[in-house]
Amino acid sequence: MSAQIHAHRRLDIVRLHGRSAFALVVVTLVGVAAFTWPFFAGTAATAESSGLPHSTDAPWLFVALLPLLLGVLFAEIADGSLDAKGIAMLGVLAACGAALRPIGGGATGFTGVFFLMIPAGRVLGRGFGFVLGALTLFASALLTAGVGPWLPFQMVAAGWVGFGAGCLPPARGRREVALLAVYAAFSGLAYGLVMNLWFWPFAHDYPHAISYLPGASLGTNLVHWLHHDVVTSLGFDLPRAFGNFVFVLVAGRPVLAALRRAARRAAFEQPVVFTPRQVSA
Amino acid sequence: MITFDHVSVTYPGASAAVLTDVDLTITAGELCLVVGSTGSGKSTFLKCINGLVPHFTGGTLSGRVVVDGRDTREHRPRELADIVGYVGQNPLSGFVSDTVEDELAYGMESLGVDSSTMRRRVEETLDLLGLADVRSRPLLTLSAGQQQRVAIGSVLTMHPSALVLDEPTSALDPPAAEEVLAALTRLVHDLGLTVVIAEHRLERVVQYADRIVHVPGAGAPLVIGDPHTVMATSPVAPPVVRLARSVGWSPLPLSVRDARSAATSLRERLRDHAPSPGPVEQLGELVASAHRLVVSYDGVIALAGVDVDIRRGEVVAVMGRNGAGKSTLLNTMAGLQAPDAGMLDVGGVAPARLAAPDVVRRVALVPQNPSDLLWRESVNAECIDADADAGVARGMTRAVLTELAPHIDDDTHPRDLSEGQRLALALAVLLVRRPPLLLLDEPTRGLDYAAKERLATIVQRLAADGHAVVFATHDVELVAEVATRVLVLAEGEVVSDGPTATVVTASPAFAPQVAKILAPQPWLTVGQVERALAG
Repeated sequence: MSAQIHAHRRLDIVRLHGRSAFALVVVTLVGVAAFTWPFFAGTAATAESSGLPHSTDAPWLFVALLPLLLGVLFAEIADGSLDAKGIAMLGVLAACGAALRPIGGGATGFTGVFFLMIPAGRVLGRGFGFVLGALTLFASALLTAGVGPWLPFQMVAAGWVGFGAGCLPPARGRREVALLAVYAAFSGLAYGLVMNLWFWPFAHDYPHAISYLPGASLGTNLVHWLHHDVVTSLGFDLPRAFGNFVFVLVAGRPVLAALRRAARRAAFEQPVVFTPRQVSA
Repeated sequence: MITFDHVSVTYPGASAAVLTDVDLTITAGELCLVVGSTGSGKSTFLKCINGLVPHFTGGTLSGRVVVDGRDTREHRPRELADIVGYVGQNPLSGFVSDTVEDELAYGMESLGVDSSTMRRRVEETLDLLGLADVRSRPLLTLSAGQQQRVAIGSVLTMHPSALVLDEPTSALDPPAAEEVLAALTRLVHDLGLTVVIAEHRLERVVQYADRIVHVPGAGAPLVIGDPHTVMATSPVAPPVVRLARSVGWSPLPLSVRDARSAATSLRERLRDHAPSPGPVEQLGELVASAHRLVVSYDGVIALAGVDVDIRRGEVVAVMGRNGAGKSTLLNTMAGLQAPDAGMLDVGGVAPARLAAPDVVRRVALVPQNPSDLLWRESVNAECIDADADAGVARGMTRAVLTELAPHIDDDTHPRDLSEGQRLALALAVLLVRRPPLLLLDEPTRGLDYAAKERLATIVQRLAADGHAVVFATHDVELVAEVATRVLVLAEGEVVSDGPTATVVTASPAFAPQVAKILAPQPWLTVGQVERALAG
């Protein structure tokens, strides 16, 4: 068949349009708000003087809201953008990704959980990357890592990792693997920094210089947050970034080839056409 | 029941149509046999029936396919699931659950059948396919034939009006294939199910078919007709038909029974001839020799004192039922298994004591699944690796491959090759080292007639070049064609060992079709008869 033609075209097997695109935008916006509210909340008033009800439990709203929104997004995608082949691909890759999570163990920060979603987002498109990222974290939480209020945040952040992989510029051969490896390192680091935000405001036993200061200026809190990251989580984030980098560099090429072959065999996005009978000569 | 109304299919990016203007109606209760060589478009034809073409594969379908009143243009495969049951080559790749009963119920659960009906249908199906004994067993512990029967059962429980099977026996050994085909003919005769089956073991099904669809390939028009008419001209035909055609019998017999009654005069004519001995064997030096060889796995004896000598120029067929020790004998000769007792000498040394690189220079083993030897991403990469491993000039493996199987594209992934092409690639990778002893484990599994014929030619040429070839097989026709000597194993012991003609005609279980038709005369192949009549 026309393997050569398809091999170099970029797939996007979870097409986002209309309501599913809207749902993704909403999830992303709410996700951004859920992560960054500490920088913007209470800049006008201090926590003590605000006296508003729910000023401390409001953030937990995100914990409830995000899964619901993710549910809406998945429902929208399942309702038209995803066929049986896409679901099969998603299921297998999410399961493999979940199985890769324990690699490296929790202590070092090094994990295999991001390894598949990056090449998969690259080959199968950004929409697929987002769904795969979120689903992989969900599945691995059920299997090994445990379910908690952090899970929705992890799902959204991992979704962004997969989505970003699908947005990278075109490249082929070694350049492509290098590009993905750098992206994997970057996203490993960024994932850690962003994930710190979900609990940082609630941690009260930190020294002043790395604590969240309700009501302080954006600049002060940003500096405190970065200090917090350097002091506490960088020891995990750097090994994770390095692990991602090495994983993709070593295994990226065969994984990309396997994914492309699977995608070709599954004949994604091939037009299905019916024409009336041809009058035979 | 199934109507093809001037159907043509073109895949995306392909320049020519796979099927052109197919016009056919398959009536209820019919057993329709689809024949054709690998890659001819048989699968495309079958997948049109449940809408996988073009809904799953993509492509353009002109005309229309209507199954039980449902047009595949408007009904996607999932909306045809209750009326068309589809069974593929490899049952394992279709299983969704772990045990026999669960697998039988799964399809009905998806269709929302109520639980008392499910219960009843599971019981019926277990009896119908003879699976009651294994009902609670895990699927992975079943034999291949049982697994394929479960796969058939899992679509039967949905009470489809048509059953579509794409080479359901090609991954099975002959006894298992026999089991599955017997179950299918029972379904047609007892339940009046419409069955469309693609199959290349024609000798087992052709006499039961009501109609044959021959797919010649390359978009050429299909040949459709009753078995006698189509078989008269079909390039793929079982030995009984080829014999009848070369002798000119009419009406064409399709079974050994019919042919035997037509063969009275032929036996008369052949009375004064003797089968030509074939190319005179130049038996060379000893390449392998086993003496009182004993091999066991965890205390279970697989080989119980086997004596065998193999010389250059010999083609030895190892036969016997599953578990008789055929694969163990081959694996032990290749050094994969260490003997518990006795003496084994391959090229002057005991293979189990050698390091792998030293073994492969003396003996090459093609395992049952040739993919086990192939791990690179393209045919070309595989060939270059083999050149480097064997220490020969770049391009040697590719040259051997071209000789074995022309027209293989360099960039193809080895797993995307057909069974025959994959076997050729595995052979090329091994043969480039020119090992004196070549071992083949069930090499004809999944091969169509053309590929089998090519394999026979290759094996004969290797023997003429002074290689010794040992192959384990159930395929009596291949044995009749190429083997110079047959070794029959039972319970790990050699029960007979002698020239092919003697061993093969001594027992009906190992006799090829031609021998059964012309018994008691010792003819084995159509070629022998043709040469005798011409000479």
